[in-house]
Amino acid sequence: MIPFPKYLKLSAIAASGLILCAQGAQVPQHIDIKQLSKTVEDVVVPLPNEIFGALNKLGAVNWKEHVRSDKGTNFTERPRIALLLGTVIADGFIAVQAEDAPTVKEIGQRVLTLAKGIGVGNSITPHAKAIIEAADKRNWDGVRQELDRTQNSVQQAMNEVHDEKLSQLVSLGGWLRGTEVLTSVVSKHFSADGAELLHQPDLLSYFQTRLQAMPEFNVPIIREIENALGQVKPLIDVGKARIPPESVKKINEITTRLGGGITTRD
Amino acid sequence: MNASVKVLLRGSSLLAALIVLHPTVFASVDDAQSFALQAAEPYVKEGFQVREDYWGGDLGSGEKKAVRQQLFKGNEYWFWLGTEVERAKISVHIYDSDGKLAEEPDGWQKGHFAAAHVIPKTTGSYFVIVNIEESPEERTHWALVYGFR
Repeated sequence: MIPFPKYLKLSAIAASGLILCAQGAQVPQHIDIKQLSKTVEDVVVPLPNEIFGALNKLGAVNWKEHVRSDKGTNFTERPRIALLLGTVIADGFIAVQAEDAPTVKEIGQRVLTLAKGIGVGNSITPHAKAIIEAADKRNWDGVRQELDRTQNSVQQAMNEVHDEKLSQLVSLGGWLRGTEVLTSVVSKHFSADGAELLHQPDLLSYFQTRLQAMPEFNVPIIREIENALGQVKPLIDVGKARIPPESVKKINEITTRLGGGITTRD
Repeated sequence: MNASVKVLLRGSSLLAALIVLHPTVFASVDDAQSFALQAAEPYVKEGFQVREDYWGGDLGSGEKKAVRQQLFKGNEYWFWLGTEVERAKISVHIYDSDGKLAEEPDGWQKGHFAAAHVIPKTTGSYFVIVNIEESPEERTHWALVYGFR
């Protein structure tokens, strides 16, 4: 005969086992990723401030030294404007991190000018106004939200007129500028956790695939970025290994060079 | 019959046809997105920034879709799934790149809303699995939004 306390214990174990089984049956603890390959949707490219937020949690960052407010070159080629627009929106997020209201307002105007240059100015006007108003009130969460809305509206407007490729260049421009700043911060104060934020191989593959599908954009900077992503890929696609300081420095050199190429004429 | 009357009659019959059609005919991913955003609303007060960008589509009952997303260690994420089909039962779960369940236990599923919570242990790609478990409709629109803090 089983003593009562032991019976209780066994019942409890059996009950918890049943609960676990029930949960296990509802939500599999493991899935076969390879089987998903045909049903996987495209990635949503993270916003620069998604990375900056994670970076901030690792220690204080002097965001002011990364603020960039120069107006840059005025381009006429639409792919170049799209890339520049992405980097300017990323600069907006940096200025918000630095709580630099005058720069945020300048960037709001700059975004509007670039959006007009690419033919989607109408959808951006209310957002540019909202960015400037929120910056005046130092409502930083509001500015972040409006910058996200701006990027989304620009891309939606481009997609509506079947300019998806330009829309992807906006995302790419933002990602490159975000990566430039991330690697700059991590290079100065190296930490393994900071370097781990660069572990984005699928995102990089996504951009590589998109660039390969843009042969019609006969703009040197596009081909330069395509080649550079090929150099960055092995530095960040390290599996479960850590990304060393030399790799962070190298990625910073590459993205800084590309950043210069995006903002200035060839 | 003059041309303007013909146009008016044609327009009226089109309008009548549109009125008798089932409302779901007009439903779209945008409707599903507004439900997903509705699910996200309470979390904004908790400091989550909800992204404007989202995923969406339509699936048959019992069908699943995987969404790949880059997540960063140090951030906290919620994914909210919605559909306009009120009698549908939907779910969302998050797996890491090895296919291991990576979500926190406080995810939830309430009819045509569902949510999953993840605090990534590593920076990298994660898979968000969207499932239309049951639905009275042949195809069910879905939309997935996410927020982070």
